[in-house]
Amino acid sequence: MAKSSGTKPQPIIPPRRIAHFDLDTFFVSVERARNPALVGKPVLVGGNGDRGVVAAASYEARRFGCHSAQPMSHALRLCPDAVIVAPDKAEYSRISMHFHDVLRAYSPYVDSVGLDEAYVDLTSTSPNSDGALQKKPSKSAEIAEAIRTEVRQDLGIAVSVCIAGSRTTAKVGSDRAKPDGLIEVPLGKDAEFLAPVPIRDLPMVGPKLAESLRVAGVKTIGDLANIDRRWLVNSFGRIGEALHTRANGLDAVLIGSSHHSRKSISRERTFDTDVIAYQHLRNELARQTITIGTHLRTHQQRARTITLKLRWKNFETITRSRTVTRPICSTKALLHIGGSILDSVLHSQRGVATAEGINRADLIRPVRLIGITAGNLVSNELQLTLDDLHRNQLPSTDCLFKEELLDDVIDTLRSRFGQHVVKRGVEPT
Amino acid sequence: MRVSCKQEDLHRGLSAVARAIPARSTLPITQHILFEASEGSVLLSATDAETIAITYRISADVTEPGAITMPSRLLADFVATLPHESIKLTLAERSRQVSLSCARNTASIGGLDPDDFPPIPPVDEAGRIEIEAHRLRKAITQTVFAAATEDSRPVLTGVHFAIADREIRLAAADGFRLSVHNLTLDQDGEERSVIVPARSLGELGRLLQEVEGAVTLTFNAAGTQVEFDLGHAKLVAQLLQGTFPNYDQLIPKETTTRTEVAVQELARETRIASIFARDGSGIVRLIGTPSSTGPGRLQINARAEEVGDNEGEIDAVIDGDEAKIAFNGRYLMDVLQIIDSDRAIIETSSPSSPGVLRPVGDDSFVHVVMPMFVQW
Repeated sequence: MAKSSGTKPQPIIPPRRIAHFDLDTFFVSVERARNPALVGKPVLVGGNGDRGVVAAASYEARRFGCHSAQPMSHALRLCPDAVIVAPDKAEYSRISMHFHDVLRAYSPYVDSVGLDEAYVDLTSTSPNSDGALQKKPSKSAEIAEAIRTEVRQDLGIAVSVCIAGSRTTAKVGSDRAKPDGLIEVPLGKDAEFLAPVPIRDLPMVGPKLAESLRVAGVKTIGDLANIDRRWLVNSFGRIGEALHTRANGLDAVLIGSSHHSRKSISRERTFDTDVIAYQHLRNELARQTITIGTHLRTHQQRARTITLKLRWKNFETITRSRTVTRPICSTKALLHIGGSILDSVLHSQRGVATAEGINRADLIRPVRLIGITAGNLVSNELQLTLDDLHRNQLPSTDCLFKEELLDDVIDTLRSRFGQHVVKRGVEPT
Repeated sequence: MRVSCKQEDLHRGLSAVARAIPARSTLPITQHILFEASEGSVLLSATDAETIAITYRISADVTEPGAITMPSRLLADFVATLPHESIKLTLAERSRQVSLSCARNTASIGGLDPDDFPPIPPVDEAGRIEIEAHRLRKAITQTVFAAATEDSRPVLTGVHFAIADREIRLAAADGFRLSVHNLTLDQDGEERSVIVPARSLGELGRLLQEVEGAVTLTFNAAGTQVEFDLGHAKLVAQLLQGTFPNYDQLIPKETTTRTEVAVQELARETRIASIFARDGSGIVRLIGTPSSTGPGRLQINARAEEVGDNEGEIDAVIDGDEAKIAFNGRYLMDVLQIIDSDRAIIETSSPSSPGVLRPVGDDSFVHVVMPMFVQW
């Protein structure tokens, strides 16, 4: 069943008009929409504890050097007058759903890439006699403007947009359209538009890649576009190929043409204080695998690869993956694999005092963060084997393996009576 | 050496033995064919020096006996393109350069010392069994496809031969399906349990196509080799060592639904459904609905994610409950293609219990295939 990711012949893609819609300072805008007193003030959305992290910063706060993913304590030193607002995830996801509903009313091809941003294919959205698409004006910029107006009216939030021939151009452009702006890159002018943009603003280029490219004399996306594709491929492999395509504004992947289901799901937690107790890590891991397991089962998915992430006190971070031949979705299996990766990491890092007695041992290196990712997700279909038959471990008639049957019962109970109605032994109270 | 033979004969012989030549080898001479001319015939041999050896005898006019090896690929491709006329091969004393001529075409091919050719081990007669060629061929066809192609469990890359009383039971399983064929013998066979590599059996199946009459199986005393003697050709296979899983318990004794269908109809609908299933995991769903009034019906469905779906229906005689089961379309096609009866029975119990296929009116064959676990 394994699929090789061989090079398929690429379909010929006609010129496309792809719009990237991005809600301006999303969390901050939501907070301001319900509390107008925050307008004009530097606002930081995020936790206010010792380990609080900035989830979003208003433009006023950004002027002081604040940005998301920054420790809150650091942000407050930069901007002591900032108003801190605790995040309200439920409200953000409600607003996000409304935003996406607006987009879908205008085009069937919406590819959501987060709570506050989405690609929309506006290529063939012209008025139609059958009535289904009547809401759409004829030109992409007019449609985009109509969407902006509707979002502003409904939600009181500004949305910036860029319309271009490729996803990369649209994404880069929408950042430049902020705040509250619209940019349309003329047909065929993607590469020209991207050329002067600093290389670091190209999605997928992080600090390390930017440094490698800078050494080769690449400062702007235009520089990158001028580099021989073969050199990029030789130096960076598949990433090089993608860099070439994107720098030239050629990644016009058809939106909505393939099933864009989630590729992975992860949970991670930064502890309030660094953890030195092994059992504490196991407990957190159990909590995370329970959430991930429930998500996988609700979405009828299974994971092939489990990745564990650990960050030590000194911020050194390691990730370790394990791929299984038969994709899993049960909490037990997730925890079993996650736990065994954790154990092997701790052993190899000599993080445990003794090889035996790991349960009692305290770690030598304090852990700041632990996280787990279920990746390589596939749909909930499995080829049963003669071994299953031999070991008498066939799924029961309602199509669940034994250990998954327990999950199913717990999932059902929890969805009917709440999260706390039943707990597993491994689950911390 | 001085030999004259028909182009057709040499071509057929070279094609037959070339199948033993390995794709890659550290031993260059295994890319060669051994050419041995003796009175009235030429014996062609090829081997990978490890698992398989094939020899093939063609009639020839030999005026001066001799032996040489020649590179298989060059020789076979050259001979294949020549006209249907006689080919003359000559090799001067102490030379390694063979001259070939056919019609107005001549060639010279450099060979190697025949004494360096890996010896094809003679199989001492520890046990001998005679079987009609066409029956052995059917037994191979009905089992060899179910053997594993990847060798994480080497024994599963072979076909198990269990010889007892007047029967050989051939079985192959790749972890997802099991194919069993019972071959009755005219004479008592010595009790024996061996595993023959599926690849060697596949080649044997091809050679058997042109054989009428009987084939002789000979096992060596050490239990490491088997020789299939087809008369003009011989195939020696190295046996796989290890224990073949006990598969009897994998064949369900009782099932709740028995669905009888026309093999060709089900094959046709499965082939169509597989086109839709190929972008997914190849899932083909079967839904059997019994009827109290007339014949029941069997639906064959497949879905192509976000593209479309397909639904076919055929008549079926269904005995028992309504049945729902999903299979990998390829596994279903594989077994339907080797059933040579007009009708077959599919026995099922639940969506996650194995399916059993049997040809109607032929109890020599049974196939067990594990279903796909899917959302219904």
